[in-house]
Amino acid sequence: MSEKLFNKILIANRSEIAVRIINGCRVLGIGSVAVYSEADINSKHRLVADESVAIGPPPPGESYLDIDKIINAARETGCDAIHPGYGFLAENPDLPERCAQEKITFIGPSAEAMRLMGNKVASRVKMAEVDVPLIPGMTAAATELDVFRKAAEKAGYPVMIKAAAGGGGKGMRVVNGPGELGDAIEAARREAKNAFGDDTVYLEKFIANPRHIEFQVLADQHGNCIHLFERECSIQRRHQKIIEETPSVALDAKLRARMGAAAVNVARAADYTNAGTVEFLLDRDGNFYFLEMNTRLQVEHPITELVTGTDLVVEQIRIAAGKPLSDGLKNLTQRGHAIECRLYAEDGDNNFMPSTGTIRHYSEPTGPGIRVDSGIMAGMEITIDYDPIMAKLIVHAPDRQTAITKMVGALESYRILGVKTSRKFMVEALCHPEFRAGRTYTSFIDDNMSERAEQDDDGLSREMAAAVAAVLSMTTVRGSVTGAGPSEASPTPWQVMGSWQIGDSINA
Amino acid sequence: MPKHEFTINGETIECSSEKHGRQYEVKVLGRTFTVTPTSPGLFSVLVDGQVHSAAAVVGADGSILVDIKASVLELREPSDEEFAGGAGDHGEEKDKIFAPMPGKIVKLPVKVGDTVEPRQQVVIVEAMKMENPVVAKARGKVKAVHFAVGDQVDTESPIVELELEEDPAKA
Repeated sequence: MSEKLFNKILIANRSEIAVRIINGCRVLGIGSVAVYSEADINSKHRLVADESVAIGPPPPGESYLDIDKIINAARETGCDAIHPGYGFLAENPDLPERCAQEKITFIGPSAEAMRLMGNKVASRVKMAEVDVPLIPGMTAAATELDVFRKAAEKAGYPVMIKAAAGGGGKGMRVVNGPGELGDAIEAARREAKNAFGDDTVYLEKFIANPRHIEFQVLADQHGNCIHLFERECSIQRRHQKIIEETPSVALDAKLRARMGAAAVNVARAADYTNAGTVEFLLDRDGNFYFLEMNTRLQVEHPITELVTGTDLVVEQIRIAAGKPLSDGLKNLTQRGHAIECRLYAEDGDNNFMPSTGTIRHYSEPTGPGIRVDSGIMAGMEITIDYDPIMAKLIVHAPDRQTAITKMVGALESYRILGVKTSRKFMVEALCHPEFRAGRTYTSFIDDNMSERAEQDDDGLSREMAAAVAAVLSMTTVRGSVTGAGPSEASPTPWQVMGSWQIGDSINA
Repeated sequence: MPKHEFTINGETIECSSEKHGRQYEVKVLGRTFTVTPTSPGLFSVLVDGQVHSAAAVVGADGSILVDIKASVLELREPSDEEFAGGAGDHGEEKDKIFAPMPGKIVKLPVKVGDTVEPRQQVVIVEAMKMENPVVAKARGKVKAVHFAVGDQVDTESPIVELELEEDPAKA
């Protein structure tokens, strides 16, 4: 039994990723400390951690984004390391800097690497130096409309306005002609300011119908750097990923090797350590361009873990503790096919409007090659305070078609009542012939899912629902209609049993 | 034989059930479903030789929520009508436009007198760090605009009111 890498790790995050990291700590025998805001007082991540510290009212600025509170919580509980998860402070260089001052290990890259790659414009400049193919466009931020106009003319319309300080679809606008440029810049600035606190935007040529392919990289503090192959993330809605898979059907061994090598070059150029992801756009002609690097663990990391047989959170902790990359990471190959679907609290049947409510029933699908990374449980309240991701459903199968079938079955057996999700939408996307054929471009949803027929299986679902409702109403006590107490979410056996007698029943 | 009646999406469905040990045979519009409660909230359903599984609970407003094949259906018993429509449930009101959740209006591209088409963007409300466009559900003329860009709105006060166009094709 090797010695513990850390005594305790504080997870500066919430929901499913916090649960995931706690899981990694458990595997390594390291204590876990969760932080929670008032909105998360009954949350799963708080429940599964060894210890938890209250860090303030719901607004992220007063809780999860408050570095002082995070550091205090770590000191209070004797943590020697902090894992930032994704989102929140994960790409804020102030956190690793504070950690360094406090002699707490930050599980992630250095503040410098974060700063460099976190700035989309600066990273473009750096990558141009090391000969990584770039999307044509601005290599410096600007505010004057004229500069944007000239850059757009040089790159050629259509162009895209993007936020320098972050991604995830926020602060992005496509511009088809010079007439739209001014408004687009304005809208992008507004969104960027709100999402990242920084309204710096820049301009790039818009690559039509690309595939979004990213490569996972791991680098230790001893100069070793590897890639763990790609993830295909082309199913996106408003630039937010919803379905990801690996391997990508668009890559053959040669292209994979070239892109993988480029990803490693990017990481080395940035002096990167720990886990990171290098994003590329692949155009229809098989050319790839560096898009950006994410200096954190990503939401979709599980698909990489399943096909390579690795545990990225464990690797992150090891790297941060100064260990070289594990032997298990040598000679990696991709085995089988993995797909991930993100479960958001949003109404997939109503323009994906955010959904809130109390989870009244929750049961996960199970079976070989089915994995659920969840931040929710029955009885929890989903509020508007945070990003609506609730859980991730991941499947692994020997080949792509089997993985698709397995995912559809898993989505259909994943039961969440009380909050709306877009499971039905994802089933439709997965069953779509274009998806089955592997023709997954970032325009997939716009191209194939804008007209969704009202699928009527000749009333079967409705009738089945009525039959189930009839039995439910006979077997549960429909008491008060207010209050989300445990009896609503999960009736007691007394409620479910209905009438019963001791001894033999005379009427069958 | 206990009888039940439910409304789902405005349609009324009747069913009658018979209990056999742990199972229930429920007849709905000529089809017979064999429903077996398996664990709290979970049911196994056999119909036409195929097995399906479903989850069902009583919702916050007394309706029954059933999760079947990745869809959630909401059923009400006729006596529940008075409880129907929780906060923010404005699905049926086509002549009023509400925010989907509390937020700030960042765009309001219509004014009184404009004609809007179904699916036309009427307002964009910023919530959860994303811009959420709200579209008109029917054709109509804008008869009132109660807010402006920059205003904070809740889900209860209509932002835009429409005078719906009479659809001659509708019964």
